[in-house]
Amino acid sequence: MTEFAIKTEDLTYYYPPDEGKAPKNALEGVTVSVESGKYTVILGHNGSGKSTLARHMNALLLPKGGKVYAFGMDTADEELTLDIRRRVGMVFQNPDNQIVSNVVEEDVAFAPENLGIPTDEIRARVDEALKTVGMYDFREHAPHLLSGGQKQRVAIAGVLAMRPKCVVFDESTAMLDPRGRRDVMDIIKRLRSEGVTVILITHHMEEAVEADNVIVMDDGRIALQGKPRQLFKRTDEIRALGLTLPDTVKLIYKLNGRGFSLNAEAITVSECAEELIKSLSGSHITAPEPEKTRAASDPILSVKELTHVYSKGTPFELTALKDINVDIYPNEVAAIIGHTGSGKSTLIQHLNGLIKPSQGRVILEGKDINSSKENLKAARSKVGLVFQYPEYQLFEETVYKDIAFGPKNQGLSDKEIDERVKMAAGFVGIGEELFEASPFELSGGQKRRIAIAGVIAMRPEILVLDEPMAGLDPAGREEIMENLLAYHRKTGASLVIVTHSMDDAAKYADRMIVLSRGEVALEGSPSEVFSKDELLESIGLSVPTASLIARRLREGGVEIEGTVYTVDALADAIAAGKGGGAGA
Amino acid sequence: MLKDITLGQYFPGNTPIHRLDPRTKILLVVIYIVALFVASGWICYGIVFFALCCAVIISKIRLKSLFKGLRPLIVIIIITAVLNIFYTPGETVLLKFWIITVTLEGLETAFFMVARIVLLVLGSLMLTYTTSPIMLTDGLEGLLKPLKLIHVPVHELSMMMSIALRFIPTLIEETQKIMNAQKSRGAQFDTGGIIAKAKAMLPILVPLFISSFRRADELATAMEARCYHGGEGRTKLKVLKMKAGDFIAIGLGIVLLGSVITLKSLGI
Repeated sequence: MTEFAIKTEDLTYYYPPDEGKAPKNALEGVTVSVESGKYTVILGHNGSGKSTLARHMNALLLPKGGKVYAFGMDTADEELTLDIRRRVGMVFQNPDNQIVSNVVEEDVAFAPENLGIPTDEIRARVDEALKTVGMYDFREHAPHLLSGGQKQRVAIAGVLAMRPKCVVFDESTAMLDPRGRRDVMDIIKRLRSEGVTVILITHHMEEAVEADNVIVMDDGRIALQGKPRQLFKRTDEIRALGLTLPDTVKLIYKLNGRGFSLNAEAITVSECAEELIKSLSGSHITAPEPEKTRAASDPILSVKELTHVYSKGTPFELTALKDINVDIYPNEVAAIIGHTGSGKSTLIQHLNGLIKPSQGRVILEGKDINSSKENLKAARSKVGLVFQYPEYQLFEETVYKDIAFGPKNQGLSDKEIDERVKMAAGFVGIGEELFEASPFELSGGQKRRIAIAGVIAMRPEILVLDEPMAGLDPAGREEIMENLLAYHRKTGASLVIVTHSMDDAAKYADRMIVLSRGEVALEGSPSEVFSKDELLESIGLSVPTASLIARRLREGGVEIEGTVYTVDALADAIAAGKGGGAGA
Repeated sequence: MLKDITLGQYFPGNTPIHRLDPRTKILLVVIYIVALFVASGWICYGIVFFALCCAVIISKIRLKSLFKGLRPLIVIIIITAVLNIFYTPGETVLLKFWIITVTLEGLETAFFMVARIVLLVLGSLMLTYTTSPIMLTDGLEGLLKPLKLIHVPVHELSMMMSIALRFIPTLIEETQKIMNAQKSRGAQFDTGGIIAKAKAMLPILVPLFISSFRRADELATAMEARCYHGGEGRTKLKVLKMKAGDFIAIGLGIVLLGSVITLKSLGI
């Protein structure tokens, strides 16, 4: 008989409604079962009820209707709460808000301490858990000095110290850079091999490919369920649910639409490449010429020989940027790429003078922005800077006032401010009916767009955004990006997007600047940058899926000329190389 | 600028003083402070000063860092000294002009008052310099445990303290980030009068409060998910244990206090 880690029967839940409002069901009639020892991925757009479902699995929330069983125990039975929670561990999204103690090992010990485990055994469990996540050497460190990925590993260790039989990851990879995400995925692999049941809630389709079972949620219900190979064949249904497909699936789908007959169950990169090699071997493919070329013009903003050292002269001295030169041109979309600690954030804060260079200059339209107060003020207006998770900076009572904050500080008249607010709200798709609402009542995606509007309202000529899409679901990501591109096209402003997603950079950027350890490692058009895929990997960055597949094809004997880095381009090239797909 | 704030600064080390049980160290500081307030006269102060010197030498704490800790108190020290010099009545007049009289007694009182403040601060600094914040919290919890009998929530208080310690750096970082974000939107924090300045803080304070509540909520959920259910039946990774060194240290502390009291009662 199969044992079930989690089983829900007709589960219904609603959050306590605001006064005078009828409760809205966050979960409705959810019946799922997760087999013990299996790897399950739960997908769904923001607000689809994924996290609410997860929180029922370890009795953080109790059903308003129906039943939930964890390893056969009814979660509604209060006597069993601790037994359930020690067996079903949960890792959350924000690593900062899960760590209790200011010493790593003390934090990992928190759960066993709560369970009243004897001191000797706590020590053994803490050491074991820290070794599993590769953080043993950091056991005496203070968590706030660790990177996001390292903190998340500590949080995982804190859960593993309970020796749970099931671990639920509630969007635990959403805030991490590619390296941090890879580390978490490796830990998940390891847990699976040890027979631990793993449930992962995510927006990253690539993470679902390896699952035993995928559950897609929509509007509080189970919309789709099945093995990834079968599930990803239902492309239209998945799109309709506001999700995107893994690039491998997209590629095969596109090619099959052009007369190929490839196996749609080849969903991992290597399977996909093999499937392609079978029908392509010996053929010759030419990558399309890169169409994006920049007309020669003078840069609008130049960073010259910039060095920045933090805490100079103390034991904490840190050189964040070393003698770098970066230019931003008018009317372009530039992507700044690099992993945590590469100096990205330090660099962009120099662009509008928030940080002063230790050495070097920042030149905006021919003037050094740090040379006078007027120049600095001009830089603050002309270079708009949107920080990561900008929705956390909203503060006014109404949406209108919040967007108006920037223009007001610029000293504009009420009429001008009104125009600016309407213009900015229009770009981000916020209707005037929301102007008098409190920004805090709106959804996460709306808040983000209002925060971006607050910067757009200053009409910057260069709009710099740090990870504008972080933490959003695929539909939300695309929407924000379209908003930003609309601003860029209509006003001719340059966009500078800081990201660690190579796929996003490949899709949107005209030019890429790759930072590593405070230096510019690579710079150029996407095709120039992605042609150096090995260098990118050596500095710890990922390569777009399309480039990975192209590389596998080359290794498999398919000749590819030039560089391909987007799924569309690869599909076009393959189809053209095959004469429109006549063969196969 | 916010990064310069240090709270309960700790200098890690592995000296006999660092290794003492935090409860011992807290007790010793209490004994030391009592002795300091009982003390009067050169010999008593000399003994207390000698005890402090021993502790500093053993702990290998650099004098520079100790004096750095005194810096914020310089104004208070100077005011104390001045007030005592000029306002202590006495017979042996050393200096007299206009309405100012400086007497030998005045100088002496001023010296002892300043010595008391300096010794008090340095002694307390030795506690925080040699004990990590988390050990301090543990030590306090251990010492206050008897208060549980009269329903003082000792465990909860120490949990709050350690969470506060954990989140101070996070919130400082966040404040800096919010400030930068609002500056990017043209906010000015250093112009105008007091009211304008206070008003300018709103764009920082509102997001900071909201985010603190969000963090608190998430942390509470995460703690519950890790089986937190109050202090009952909790065990510890690091159990505080009194060792021979602790008893010797407390013994020495009692000797110090005893001799100061004896000397005082003898009127020396």
